[in-house]
Amino acid sequence: MKNSTLIKGTAAIAVGAALLLGGGGTLANWNAEATTAPGTIVAGDLNVAKTAAGVWKDRAGTVIPDINNYKVVPGDKLTFTQDLTVTLVGNKMAADVSTTGITATNGFTSANVSVSAPALTVGSAPVANPLKPTVSAQTVTATITFEFLSSTTGRADTTASYNFNNVAFQLTQVTQPGLS
Amino acid sequence: MRIKRSLQAAALIAAAVLLGLFTVQGTYALWNATAVATPGTVSAASFDMVLTPGTGQATTMTLSNGTAATVALSPNGTLGPGTPVHGALVVTNDTNAGGQFNTVITAGTPAVANVNGGTLAGYISVSGKLAATTAECGNATGYLGIGTGLASLPVAKTASAIFCFQVSLNPGAPTSVKGQAVNITLPLTARQCGVSGGC
Repeated sequence: MKNSTLIKGTAAIAVGAALLLGGGGTLANWNAEATTAPGTIVAGDLNVAKTAAGVWKDRAGTVIPDINNYKVVPGDKLTFTQDLTVTLVGNKMAADVSTTGITATNGFTSANVSVSAPALTVGSAPVANPLKPTVSAQTVTATITFEFLSSTTGRADTTASYNFNNVAFQLTQVTQPGLS
Repeated sequence: MRIKRSLQAAALIAAAVLLGLFTVQGTYALWNATAVATPGTVSAASFDMVLTPGTGQATTMTLSNGTAATVALSPNGTLGPGTPVHGALVVTNDTNAGGQFNTVITAGTPAVANVNGGTLAGYISVSGKLAATTAECGNATGYLGIGTGLASLPVAKTASAIFCFQVSLNPGAPTSVKGQAVNITLPLTARQCGVSGGC
């Protein structure tokens, strides 16, 4: 019985030593390793922002410093331009730019005014959606015209007002080949 | 049975979440960004013409209730053969327009009516002229028959046109018209011009 215990103890020590030797990993056979560097994955960018306040001009192209201080008369035609900076970064990036239109509060007689929907241009050319990334940020110009028609008669619409409220411009990524 | 109910509840919750995502976000997938412009408020100008007689109270051509104003011109003296009387009226373009706003003011054909009967109206002639100052109205030269109308040159913002009106008595008028009176009415109109075209 005493020998049996001794044998069991010796066997346990031997097994433990073997395990210790095996964990070292260098005691037997060749081995080698190599390293690869997959690099860093960087996300692109998509943004549309106003870089400056929009500008109102009269029919002659003269800048109106503050539209709130300018009073229109029949025959006046005012143009509002808003530059938007569009940032598109990404190898498969493409996006449509659009406007949500005008939801104005119109105090004029509808027949006496003509208000255009916002027109989007890049340079002088109409926007061709979808926009693709360029070297630098692109400038998209939105243009709205307001004309107080010269066909207005009598004293119609004197002191009337037309509040444009907010005009939103939306840039939405569109899927491209290679994207799910 | 319990497992089936649990699956049904889970499916219902998933559908509700998906529906909520589609409803709130709209696109659910891919990037989008928005910029908002505030063009502001465009306001129309007033169309106010101020009439100032040589003597008397000034008034706007159109009253606040929308009706046309009446301005009384008091002649400078008593009418008699060879002694015409005259009156002055200054018309000022008092608009608050932001840009150019020219007007042309036209005095229409005068109407002469006897007061309390009489025949004086038949011997009255009304003429007019445009002047640089009201003092020039006292100068008998330059008066012409008004005919179908006497129009001013374009009157810019804050500028004025001065109308002189002269009333003369026919030298052949009988003495029976002495002491009689007439009312002379003369319509004035103001017309905008020159914003997108000529006056």
